[in-house]
Amino acid sequence: MTQSLESSRFGRLAIDDEAVIEFPNGLIGLGGTRYVLVGRDQDSPFLWLHSVEDPTLALPVTNPFRFFSDYEVVLSDAEAERLGIADPETCDVWVTVRAAERPEDFRVNLRAPILVTGGRGHQVINDAEHAPVQMPLFAPIAAEAA
Amino acid sequence: MLMITRRAGERIVLGEDIVLEVVDIGHGQVRIGIEAPKSVPVYREELWAAIKAENEAAAHAPAGPLPAVQEPVTR
Repeated sequence: MTQSLESSRFGRLAIDDEAVIEFPNGLIGLGGTRYVLVGRDQDSPFLWLHSVEDPTLALPVTNPFRFFSDYEVVLSDAEAERLGIADPETCDVWVTVRAAERPEDFRVNLRAPILVTGGRGHQVINDAEHAPVQMPLFAPIAAEAA
Repeated sequence: MLMITRRAGERIVLGEDIVLEVVDIGHGQVRIGIEAPKSVPVYREELWAAIKAENEAAAHAPAGPLPAVQEPVTR
């Protein structure tokens, strides 16, 4: 089954029921339990996690491993058991993107990645040591060279 | 806000299936045990607030396309 969504950001979207990701607890602090991943551009590292219930609600996300090759997701035993996720690496992992006018001001939330598996999604607390809530996505060239 | 005084080892029951226990009272901090159903996520408030703020900021991305990235920066 396909449904139509009149997105305030993207216009009309055809949503395949199979593509809907159920978030039993929603996203932290945001409403809604049903989202889809929307990609506008094959070459872009950014996708949009778009609410199926609220046509004005969409967050850009990206694959953190594409930018941070040593990124890891560590769940506490209690959280892993609660969610029934034994190994985060078996999930698709996304992080939310705080977009900005200038690329150097982009930030991603490495502390609260979104794990997706089997049509269900959870935004979790990452217990890994270096996982800031606001991580610059694009390192300044000068700092890279230093 | 409802105020309840408890001693170490005493509990508070919220609804049918959430129990908070004051496990230990130390210098300037208390240790709290929480029993809740799996469907109820539990967060430290300051982290919850920081993540909520990031989610809201992400949801307010400027209109228009995000920058295309030719070569992802790998660190």
